[in-house]
Amino acid sequence: MKRALFLLAFAAFLVTSGAVDAASGLSIALVPDKSNPTAPEMGNWLKFNSIIKNTGDTPLAGLVVWISLVQVDSGHEQPVDLEDWSAHKALVIPNLNPGQAIGADWAMRLIQAGDYRVVLSATERHAATLYVSPFADFHVRRKPTVESGRILPVAVGMPLLLAGFAAWRMRRGR
Amino acid sequence: MNPILLIARKESGEVLGSGRGLGWLTLLAAVLSVLSLLLVSDTELSLLDNAQVVYIVMGTITALGGLLAVVLGSDAWAGERERGSLIPLLLTPVEITDIVLGKMGAQGIAWGSAYLVALPYLWAVGSSGQNLAQAVLYLGLFGTPLVLGFGFYALGLSVRLGSVRAALLASLTTLLLAASPLLLGPSLRQSAVGKIFDAVNPFSAVLNTFDSVVVDSQPFTLQLGRLAVVVAWLVVAAWFGRASARSVKL
Repeated sequence: MKRALFLLAFAAFLVTSGAVDAASGLSIALVPDKSNPTAPEMGNWLKFNSIIKNTGDTPLAGLVVWISLVQVDSGHEQPVDLEDWSAHKALVIPNLNPGQAIGADWAMRLIQAGDYRVVLSATERHAATLYVSPFADFHVRRKPTVESGRILPVAVGMPLLLAGFAAWRMRRGR
Repeated sequence: MNPILLIARKESGEVLGSGRGLGWLTLLAAVLSVLSLLLVSDTELSLLDNAQVVYIVMGTITALGGLLAVVLGSDAWAGERERGSLIPLLLTPVEITDIVLGKMGAQGIAWGSAYLVALPYLWAVGSSGQNLAQAVLYLGLFGTPLVLGFGFYALGLSVRLGSVRAALLASLTTLLLAASPLLLGPSLRQSAVGKIFDAVNPFSAVLNTFDSVVVDSQPFTLQLGRLAVVVAWLVVAAWFGRASARSVKL
């Protein structure tokens, strides 16, 4: 009996929370831009389009929307510091009236290879919960940044070239 | 012919024209080769790691340029004295300032040669990363006044100490101190002393610029303060070198 009462009370709490969310609701849509490369590699830029819409019936004030990036490669799961990936990390919307929607684009430069998911989160001044967008997943192909095929000829060739030139000068100087 | 150009041509000919003189350039290339080959072992670098590699190569080239400048500068005056050729040089109808500028012209040519030798290495390690063009440009723009400043400084010491060995020791010690940020990362320079040292040290200004431009992709406007530090170093060192040479009495 006690267990049933507890479950009932918990269900009532959930329903009440949902009602509060519905009253001050926010929907965040997040999709990759159509111009994004189909198989992006390190160094490419990706853009994500978002639409932040007040689906509730009360205005939202002091809304902050920010982007997060998580690496999800097996064994390398970790949040990624966006400092080097993106200069546009957050958006502040002073006021968003019911039914009003704002679009925002989020560009990021792909720094490291791997599998990633990007997500937008938002909160407002009086919100009790966090609003989140759906995930947008992408894979970054590795691009060799130090190519042995290019370094070897230079590393071997330059000293040999200069040594040969020096020897030639010495022979001519005699 | 302009006496400055004449002296610069003669001096640079000794450094670059002879087979023996070219040995240092070959050695410089060998050092950069070893550094580059060490980097081959890790090809799975992120773009920023690659930028760090370019930064390391730039710092190494600058330090080698500084080394070249202090060796040539230390020998510029005291070497002439020890070889017995200083008095004949001073008796020629050439202004002391022209002699100093001629010797520094030779240093500029030697640094230019080192810079040219370094370019293929920068390309080899940095062309698939970011900001290679900036690396090439800023190495010349910031490296040149720094290196020539050390040349002037060593020349001034060479005059005042009158001995190649003493001038070399003093100028090498200064160079080592100035180049210490190559070994000490930014986190080790966050103390008050470290920040003051960074603010006035031209070598720090150059390295911080390389880091700012190549790793962080920051614009030229943010580098103006650091450029001022490096140019001020060149001006003060040039004044020291020239004033020291002009103080010599026959």
